[in-house]
Amino acid sequence: MEKKKNPIIFSSYEPRKGLFDEVFNENGSAKSIYKTLFDLYGGHSVNDYEILNSKAKASFFNQGITFQVYNDEQAQEKIFPFDLFPRIIHPLEWEIIEKGAIQRSRALNLFLWDIYHDKKVIKDKVVPLDLLSSSENYLHQMMHLDPPGKIYNHISGTDIIKHADGQYYVLEDNIRCPSGVSYVICNRTALKRALFGVFNHYQAHTVTNYAENLLQILETVKPRGVDNPNCVVITPGRFNSAYYEHSYLAKAMGVELVEGQDLFVENDFVYMKTINGPERVDVVYRRIDDAFIDPLEFRPDSALGVPGLFAAYRKGNVCLANAPGTGVADDKAVYTYMPEIIKYYLDEEPILNNVHTYRCSRPDELKYVLENIDKLVIKPVDEAGGYGISIGNQLTKSEIEKVKVTIKEHPRKYIAQPILSLSVHPTYIEDMGSFEQRHVDLRTFTLLGKDRDFVLKGGLTRVALRKGNLIVNSSQGGGSKDTWVLKTE
Amino acid sequence: MEHLYQIVYSAKNCYEEVVKEAIWQFQILPLENESQHIVKWSFQNSLHTPYHVSINGLGFITIRLHPKHCFSEIEFKFECELVKKELNPFDFLPNLEPQDDYGKIASLAFKADNEIYLRRTPLSSLPSVHQSIFIFDTSQSIFQNLRDLNHWVYNHLHFTVGVTDVTTPLKDIIEQRQGVCQDFTHLFCAIAKENGIPSRYVSGYIHQGNNYFGDLQMHAWAEALVPNVGWVGFDPTNDILVAQNHIKVCHGKDYNDCSPLRGVVYSNGANETEYFVQVQSSQLQQ
Amino acid sequence: MLARVANNLFWMGRYIERSEHVARYLNVNYFSSLDAPHELSQSRQFMLRSMLFMIGDPINDHNLTLDEEQVLFNTALNQEKEYSIISNVKAARENANCARDLISTGLYEAINRFYHYVLNYNTDFFVKKGLYDFTVHIMEQTAVLRGKIRGSLLHDQVYAIIMLGINIERATQIIRIINAKYHDALLAMGSYSDEVAHSFEWTTLLKCIESYDMMRRFYRKTPTSSSTLEFLVLNGDCPRSVMNSLNQICKHMSVLDRSKHPLKDSTSFLVGKLRAEMEFTKVESIACDVQGFIEQILQKLVEISQKMEQEFFNY
Repeated sequence: MEKKKNPIIFSSYEPRKGLFDEVFNENGSAKSIYKTLFDLYGGHSVNDYEILNSKAKASFFNQGITFQVYNDEQAQEKIFPFDLFPRIIHPLEWEIIEKGAIQRSRALNLFLWDIYHDKKVIKDKVVPLDLLSSSENYLHQMMHLDPPGKIYNHISGTDIIKHADGQYYVLEDNIRCPSGVSYVICNRTALKRALFGVFNHYQAHTVTNYAENLLQILETVKPRGVDNPNCVVITPGRFNSAYYEHSYLAKAMGVELVEGQDLFVENDFVYMKTINGPERVDVVYRRIDDAFIDPLEFRPDSALGVPGLFAAYRKGNVCLANAPGTGVADDKAVYTYMPEIIKYYLDEEPILNNVHTYRCSRPDELKYVLENIDKLVIKPVDEAGGYGISIGNQLTKSEIEKVKVTIKEHPRKYIAQPILSLSVHPTYIEDMGSFEQRHVDLRTFTLLGKDRDFVLKGGLTRVALRKGNLIVNSSQGGGSKDTWVLKTE
Repeated sequence: MEHLYQIVYSAKNCYEEVVKEAIWQFQILPLENESQHIVKWSFQNSLHTPYHVSINGLGFITIRLHPKHCFSEIEFKFECELVKKELNPFDFLPNLEPQDDYGKIASLAFKADNEIYLRRTPLSSLPSVHQSIFIFDTSQSIFQNLRDLNHWVYNHLHFTVGVTDVTTPLKDIIEQRQGVCQDFTHLFCAIAKENGIPSRYVSGYIHQGNNYFGDLQMHAWAEALVPNVGWVGFDPTNDILVAQNHIKVCHGKDYNDCSPLRGVVYSNGANETEYFVQVQSSQLQQ
Repeated sequence: MLARVANNLFWMGRYIERSEHVARYLNVNYFSSLDAPHELSQSRQFMLRSMLFMIGDPINDHNLTLDEEQVLFNTALNQEKEYSIISNVKAARENANCARDLISTGLYEAINRFYHYVLNYNTDFFVKKGLYDFTVHIMEQTAVLRGKIRGSLLHDQVYAIIMLGINIERATQIIRIINAKYHDALLAMGSYSDEVAHSFEWTTLLKCIESYDMMRRFYRKTPTSSSTLEFLVLNGDCPRSVMNSLNQICKHMSVLDRSKHPLKDSTSFLVGKLRAEMEFTKVESIACDVQGFIEQILQKLVEISQKMEQEFFNY
């Protein structure tokens, strides 16, 4: 039998020029923060590493941590691909991210309050009226309604990237039902199980305190006159792609996970059907989209919602988190005004950078976009999950022409941004049996309550597993990494 | 002078298969305002299920019913006695300078405040081919233009039952030139919005004494916001301004905001629903 | 606890228990038939028919020749057959999925692993060589699950509902197995030197319910129809007896319904009544009309299950 010497896993790592590598310097040495980690990982043979890797995968599989991907034909159950090499964030960098995320959440909350009340931001010409009037997510039912604690976006997910210039940029604020936080915790668990040895060498913040903070935030927005609020998580059901997360959060908070059919409304109060009869519900962390929460008020064909829920909310007898109608501010067109919105409401400079955005609704900017498509990313303003995105320099000529036609037909529906060079991180590629550079981003999770806020120290580092791919969403075949926010020394 | 109205709304729903559970929400209770005052009302159903009164997202009172027993047939009867004041729709001082009004509706603050009733909904937006079907004459006052529009819609469409339903697109209605009060109203609103005037769909009852169209069913008309005057009601189905014969229930962007009955019924198979409305009036002595 | 989720937990318990009984019935019948003392009891067709009878898919056509591999596949791994082991395990896991936030991670992971094991079991291997390996694994895994249920859940309402599911299912399966074996004993009557009372099928029956050894210990005699029935139905110390299941049902019912004097139309009342009846039943009265007894008790167990649904799971 031939005896083969196992190559070391980093040996074939090839840094490409022009990309910002988070781990390695240009001369090939590991950056100081990664030095220890690199030494610990670098010692593994491919065989050893494969064993660890398959164990970690089995751990996800046995825990039933799977999601569904929707193809044209049917939903498929898959494991969320996970990379064992963690991402490390320096405490000083984290401080900026954390402050910036809170700043954005607060500004968006004030923005939502304003556009559902006096609309001063529009009358003062900071943002155009068109942003509301053409948004299908602007809910008139929310006009002049005061949500408990004046909070709309209790839970925000901010997508941040590190550009080639080494600076962080926000790509998107997700304030409808951002998901992914359960994977942050699972990734940590899986990494700890597989490579407990490396943890001793770093002082990383915990991520398991998310659920308790979420519960505390939800309790701050309890309805008037309730001492011990009964909180629940409402899910569209076990066939939803994020069902694992819904059940995880309910379990970790120790509250019930309900479906629409488990709740009913009587006299504008919400109850759940338990084995001991009806029990009142005060705060609903809802993971159902606005249009489906109440068939009597929104989509009448919704079988997921609770008839009469909105009327109960309107009366202040129940709190919904996030509030209905937050989707209007989650719109990519609103994103482009974030620097102005932050200045207007908080009188502060934005802490985190916004990516420069061209609005196709403006004739002059549309012209620039049409002429420079090859240098831009074109995004629809109202699609989630990475769908409908075109990356200019990856399109053929005929594809470019097609995109141009689509944009010209509905200019309001599209924005364009310069092609950002997302930073890269060494990621183990099973097919190659070695580490390779892959693009990553970071989703952070911010909670906003009455007189209270919280940013999870950590986040979901999403990896684009296909070489050169810039889209990191799980529905587009992305994976993730554990993310360590180091404690200040 | 005041009128006393007696309104009866009755409905019957039959289901092919047994219904396990159902929730209905009625939007049929007249609005209380300066000109309308409810003396008394009652709501009964053949299952004797108690009802609850609630308020919907746009702020109107609803009656909600939630039977929890199996059934295959249910009847509802709503009765209401209401006093309506005599109204003179011309009872305001017209602005002598129409240009001021046009300036006002063009202002950003006005548009922002009235965004909801300027918004094009699928039911109340003019198809692009008919965008300039009716252009306001800006030398005339807004009120005069709206009266002309009312008349124009009345002439453009022929009241015909059964050719359209609540999902018929406005394009078909304009081209077929046929429809019922919902269609007249949507067309009026679409054109008014196209000309920058906030306008809304109103659902209500009409007293049938004067041979107006729209009795036996819920009626629909439009309200348009005239600067310095307020919301003025136009009934394009009957080519009149809204007065004491119109009893308003609610308003919204279009029919979808105002449908008299919304329901969630847990049952398979077909169902049949029918309803009718009766409005009787007597004059009250002062 | 949500009524819907309680229903899921109840059925999770039932499906776990059901998988075990089906697996053991397959295993015991198949392997004891190989060296059974009589021609008929040794017959493959007879054994396959018995399997299908117990599982609820009886073959009434006497001339039909069954395909062994097909029958084994249907009872164990055919997802299109509602009664197959794989369908039961799948249903158990789906119910667990719906109640995931209420059960321990350890229990959920065990159910999930169990499901993947069954799902990935090679069909061809199973019908040719894997019957023993597969059924033994099912029996062991269900024991592990019961251990996790007992050892990792709070012994509160969640636990009570799962245990109610397990015990109602156990009582039902025991009766069904008795029924199947009684049926076999009747069929085999002609070929035995002995009568029904001393049929070889009683030994198989005891093995199907994992009670043969203990039964021998208790009676120190070859099982007969009446001693077997007495042991499996009336002996409260036998963990697999109907009586023991009813005792368990009563105990767990009292967690859900704490009233001292349960209402006449409550589940508690029905359960208590059935238990009292059984307590004062003698084996002689069962033995004189086994068929009648089986039908009657199955009916009562169905009533209890339906009443539970009405009282607790109605959502």
